[in-house]
Amino acid sequence: MKKRAAGLAARFTFLLASAGLLSACVTREPFIPGHLPAGAQRAVELDATPFFSQDKYQCGPAALATLLVASNADTTPEALVPVVYLPARKGSLQVEMLAAPRKFGRLSYALSRNLESVIEELAAGRPVLVLHNYGLSFWPRWHYAVVIGYDAATDRFILRSGKKRRQEWRARTFMVAWHHGGRWAMVVLRPGETPASADPTLYLQSAADFERGASPADSRLAFDAAVQRWPAEPVAWIGRGTAEYRAGNLANAARDYATALRIDPNNLGARNNLAQSLLDLGCPARALELLRAVKFDAPASPLEAAVLDTRKHVEAALTSTPVVEPSRCSSLF
Amino acid sequence: MKHSPWRKFAVGILSVAILNMGMAGAASAAIVDTAELVTADRAADMSVVRSQLDRAEVRAQMEKMGLDAAAVDRRVASLNDRELHRLAVDMQNAPAGGDAVWLVGAVFIVLIILELTGVIDIFKKT
Repeated sequence: MKKRAAGLAARFTFLLASAGLLSACVTREPFIPGHLPAGAQRAVELDATPFFSQDKYQCGPAALATLLVASNADTTPEALVPVVYLPARKGSLQVEMLAAPRKFGRLSYALSRNLESVIEELAAGRPVLVLHNYGLSFWPRWHYAVVIGYDAATDRFILRSGKKRRQEWRARTFMVAWHHGGRWAMVVLRPGETPASADPTLYLQSAADFERGASPADSRLAFDAAVQRWPAEPVAWIGRGTAEYRAGNLANAARDYATALRIDPNNLGARNNLAQSLLDLGCPARALELLRAVKFDAPASPLEAAVLDTRKHVEAALTSTPVVEPSRCSSLF
Repeated sequence: MKHSPWRKFAVGILSVAILNMGMAGAASAAIVDTAELVTADRAADMSVVRSQLDRAEVRAQMEKMGLDAAAVDRRVASLNDRELHRLAVDMQNAPAGGDAVWLVGAVFIVLIILELTGVIDIFKKT
C-alpha cells in the first residue's frame, strides 16, 4: 500500500517535471506590455495603499477595507466582517462586496472583464480588488486580493493578499487565477470620481444604486461627474436633476431634467420629473403642457403610473385655484 | 358580534394589501428615482411581487448560513432589488472569496503548468 502510494507520487512528480521541462521549451511573450493602454506608465506601485492582514477565510473584509481606507473612508476589516462575511460559505459574495461601499458614502464599480481596465485603474492611482480562483471548475477555491501595481519590464503584478503585505505575481500566473475567477474586479470611488475605464451605462447604474442611500450633495457629485464626462447621456442629467430636487434646488432640477428631455424626447422619466418640478415651482400650466401629449388608457409600468399620477396632481392644481403663472415660469429653461 | 378567526385573517391580509397600495401611490406622486430609469434595471423588469419573493428567499438563506436575525435585517436592507434577485438565484454556489490552503497551492501549480505548456490556453480569443 505504502509502496503504491510512493509509486503514484513518483509518477506525479515525473509528470510535473516533464511538464515543467516542456514549459521551458515554450516561449511566451511578456504579457503586460501588450495590454498597456495608451498613455499608461510602464510601471506603477501604489505604495500608500494600506494593508490589513486577513484572518481565516476573511479576505473579503480585509480586501474591502484596503480599498475603502485607500479612498479615505474610516473602517477596519473587523467592522466589515458583519457586513460581508457569510459563515456557512466561509467567504464573501461579490454582490455584497459591491453593495458595502455605499454604507461609507462610496460608489463601487465592477470593471469590464479585461486586463486593460485593471491596468488603467492602477495607472489612474486606484487599487483594484480582484477575485482569484486557485481551484478547478468543479472544486473552486475563491480568494479576494488587491492589485496595487504592475511592472511592464518584469511582466509582474504587485498585490496585497492574505497575510502578505507585498507579493509579486508573474502576469501569466495572475491571469490564470483571475481568468478562473471569472475575470471579476472592482474599484471603490469617492463621489465625483469616475473610473478611468468606465462604461457610461455601467457607471450610471452604479451611481443610481448609490443615489438611494446617499446625501443629495454626494449624489450630485456622482452625477455631475457623469454630466461632465458623458454630456449626451440623458440619465446623467436626470440623476443630477434629482440630486438638485432632493436638495430643494427646484429651478436647477428643472433645468437638468429639461436638458435630458431635449436629448431624449421619449424619456418618460425626465418628462415626469420635469413636470413634477414645475408643479412644485408653482408652474402647473407649464407642467401640463409637458404631460398633455402623454396618454395611456391603463398604465403598463410603475413609471407610466407615476406619470398619470403627476398629471392628476397638475390638473388638480390648475382647477383648485385660478393660477396666474408667475413670469419666472417661462424663463426657467 | 364575534368575528371568526378566518374573517380576522382575511381582514388582516386585506389591510396589509391596502396599506401597500397606499404606499405605492404615495411613492409615485413625486419624482421617479434614477435607478428606475437606468436601462439595465428597466430590462430586468422588476415586479413588486418578485422582489418580495427574492427578499424572503435571501433572508431565509442568510439565516441558514449562520447570520443572526439582526444582521440579516441590516444586510437585506442594504441591497436593492437587482442585488437581492442575484443572491436569491445563486447564493449557494456564487463565488465566495475566502482562503487559500496548501492543497489548493498544489492544484494551482498544475493549472499554471498546463497553461504554460499550452494544454489549456486561457488567452485565446473567444
